[in-house]
Parts: sequence; structure tokens; C-alpha cells
Amino acid sequence: MIMSRREALLLPVSPWFIALSLLMSLLLSMLLGLSQALWLPDILAVSIFFWGIHQPRRVGMATAFILGLWMDVQHSALLGQHALSYVVLSYFAFSMHRRLLWFPIKEQMLQILPFFILAEVIGLLIRLSTGDDFPGWAMLLSPFIETMLWPVANFILLAPQRRASDPDANRPI
Amino acid sequence: MALESLDRSPPPFFRVGFAPLTKLIFFSALSLLLVFGDKQLQFTKPLRAGLSTLILPMQWLVLQPGEALSAMGTYFQNLEQAQTNLKAAELKVLQQSVRSQQVEQLQIENQNLRQLMGLQSSMAVTSQTAEVLFDVPDPYNQRIVIDRGQLKNVALGSPVIDAGGVVGQVTRVYPLTSEVTLLTDKDQSYPLTSEVTLLTDKDQSIPVLNSRTGARNITSGDVLAGQPMIELKFVPASADVKEGDLLTTSGIDGVYPAGLQVARISHIERRVDISFARIHASPLAELKGRHVLVLQPSAASALNKGKAP
Repeated sequence: MIMSRREALLLPVSPWFIALSLLMSLLLSMLLGLSQALWLPDILAVSIFFWGIHQPRRVGMATAFILGLWMDVQHSALLGQHALSYVVLSYFAFSMHRRLLWFPIKEQMLQILPFFILAEVIGLLIRLSTGDDFPGWAMLLSPFIETMLWPVANFILLAPQRRASDPDANRPI
Repeated sequence: MALESLDRSPPPFFRVGFAPLTKLIFFSALSLLLVFGDKQLQFTKPLRAGLSTLILPMQWLVLQPGEALSAMGTYFQNLEQAQTNLKAAELKVLQQSVRSQQVEQLQIENQNLRQLMGLQSSMAVTSQTAEVLFDVPDPYNQRIVIDRGQLKNVALGSPVIDAGGVVGQVTRVYPLTSEVTLLTDKDQSYPLTSEVTLLTDKDQSIPVLNSRTGARNITSGDVLAGQPMIELKFVPASADVKEGDLLTTSGIDGVYPAGLQVARISHIERRVDISFARIHASPLAELKGRHVLVLQPSAASALNKGKAP
């Protein structure tokens, strides 16, 4: 069954906007990290996944890896911990980027939730396997909040690509 | 419709680069190699030092909102409170001045006695103040980052104290900042770089002296009922330990100078079936303060003393 894609045609994306949005989410993630609350969402992961879905040729696993290393140093976690979970996230974004956007946004959220949980669990498993203690159940809340942020990301990150609606006699939208 | 409003570049059919699965395997392997290298082999140290210097401007930027908020808070703090604080501080200084005058005299007396007895004289400790930048965001261990690093001669393993007592130890040194692992942190697995691990970290251990009985013990960080604590290791169930006993550093590790206050014993659990008592002590350091003192490790200063002409 082919579903109709409701989204209007989008303008081409500016690479500068992608870079800027990734930088802003990096800064936001660093800022949120300072509070040390376990349940806070990883905004950078949402951005990487978002651009992996919408612009798979521009934001791929290499970008995810480098941003992951950055977060590892900022968190002073093991080097490669965030890098691995972002790379896996980016891989699954690529593998489903042709399919996901045909669904309405609520069903998109249902489909991406497992990947955010997976990314969180990868980080957890790496730390548990190197002999750290389980930090607390609150950390399992963050994938759900990240999924809740998906419509917000859709609204903000696609905003520059939407065209102003000015219908006239020849153009109904 | 204007032509440039559509994405005109077709997807590349023939030059698609590596297959996604290949890339996934490559980057995953690289990440796991880094994890292993960071945990076991320590070869990622220059990479981490380089990256940490690179992200420093961003870190500075991220810290600004908090700084501005606290600056505003201080500004709007009313005059009355400021005066109360000042009065309290003056009182404290007065109380301490009595003690410090005695200390001068006691130190001279102690030195004379030590000379008479032919004992090695205790060393003066050099120190520098540092400001706490932030708590390390990693939820798995307890560390703080301070604004002194290699360029200010912060040495790896330097003890860090605040007004209350021992805070922890420098476990990673970056060029401009340092990380402190807290006393309450359990893990002190990075002997080559610099953060301060807090004394409540799980792997942080300090040799201490029970100031009432003179018994020597080893501490390790632990969490008791959600509170970061330190635990006394290998204390026989029959040992003379009471709640409220003061623990100070014993100085036998050559890192912490002797006589720094560490913690006060708060929980003692003796069970019949275990030959060791479970003893927890709450750290005396404030751990959330803004300023700390970084001491030179005493073994290092002894070495320097030996080298000096």
C-alpha cells in the first residue's frame, strides 16, 4: 500500500544550516550535560538521527563518529562510548530513511523509539562491561523524551526549507 | 516556479562510496578500539588532551549562562545577608587565628623535638588555589574539572582539599584545565591524565588514621542510601571504632600530606557472620564549593627537595 506523503515540496537544504543546527544541538547537549540529571535527553542524538533520515548523503556515520568523540571528551567518558552509539544510530537512520517519511509523524515516533533505546543501552553496556555501576533507572527515561522531541525537531529543522504559502489562480498551494 | 527552489542534484547512482554496513563495521571497530585503548592501554591520552583543548572555547561558552545567573544572584543578594556573611566570616577568622598562632609555636616546638629525636622533619606543602569549573557530566563516576592544568604546574596525583577537608585527587591533567576524581568516586583508572576524582568515587582510596585510636585504615568510595560516602575497608568486627570518630590522612602513601581531615564515621554495622565490620564515614569536604586548593604531592616535593642544590 502506498500512502500519500502529506508534506508539501521542500526547498533544498542549505549545508550551512545543517552545520549550524548540529553545532547548536552540540552546545545544548553540553549545557544539559552540566546538570548531571540522568533523564535529560541527548539532543545531539536527535539531530544526528534527524539529518540521517532527511539528508542521508550529507550527515552520515563519519559525522556521527566525530561528534560522538567530542561528547566523549566533554563528558570525560570512555573515548568511543558516545561515538559508537551515534554511529549505530546513524546507520539505522540510513537504513530506514526511504521508508520512515511515508508514515504520519506519530507512527514515525513509534518506529524510531527502539533506536534511541538501543543507543542508550549501547552506552550503558560499554560502561557496565568496563566495571562501572548501573547509574540509575532514570536514564531509561531519556530515549522516550528524545522520541517526544521528534515533532519539535521536524518543526524547527525543516522550517528554513518550507516555502511560504501564497496560492494564486494557477497554484492551489 | 523558480528553478533553484528544487533540489536538482540527482542521487549518485555509480559513485556511492562504501556500503553502509562496511562503514558501520569500520566505525564500530574504531570506537571499540578506542574504548579498549582508553580503558586498558592508555594510548588515547594525547588524543583526549588534544580534543579537550579543542573543545575548551565551546566549554567556556556553555558555562557562561550559569556564570551570568550566579553573578546576577550575587548582585541582587541583599545587603543584610552580605553583612551577616561578613560577620560570620570575621568570627571564623578570629576563632582560627587563636589556633593558627598556636600552630606556629607548635610547629617550631615539633621541629625542635624532631631534631632532638633525630627524626625526619615534616615537609612544608606548597599549594595553589583553583576554581571548580563544573562537575563532569558522566554519571558513572564522580569527578570535577578545575581551572588549573599543566601550564600552572598541576601534577598528576596532586591531592585537592577545600575548607572542610580532602576533596580528592587530580587524575587527568590537560594543558589548561584539570579533572579531579572525588574521594567518593569508585574508579581511579586513569593514572596518566588529569581530572580530580572526588573522595567519594568508588575506586578512590586514601590511607587514613583514626585520630581517636590511632588505628590506620584504607578508605574507598561508596554510596549509602543515595548519599556519596566513603567506606573503611578491612576493619575487624572487634576493632575499636565509634560513630563520630575523626579520620585524617595518615600520610604513608606519599601522596596526601599527613593530618588533613577526611571524614567522620557515621554508620557502623557489625554482623555476627562476617568477620569485618561495615563502616561508613561522611566526607567533611564541602564537595559543592567553588574554590579548592591543589597541593603538590608530598612524594614529588620530597624528590624536588632532594634535587635542589
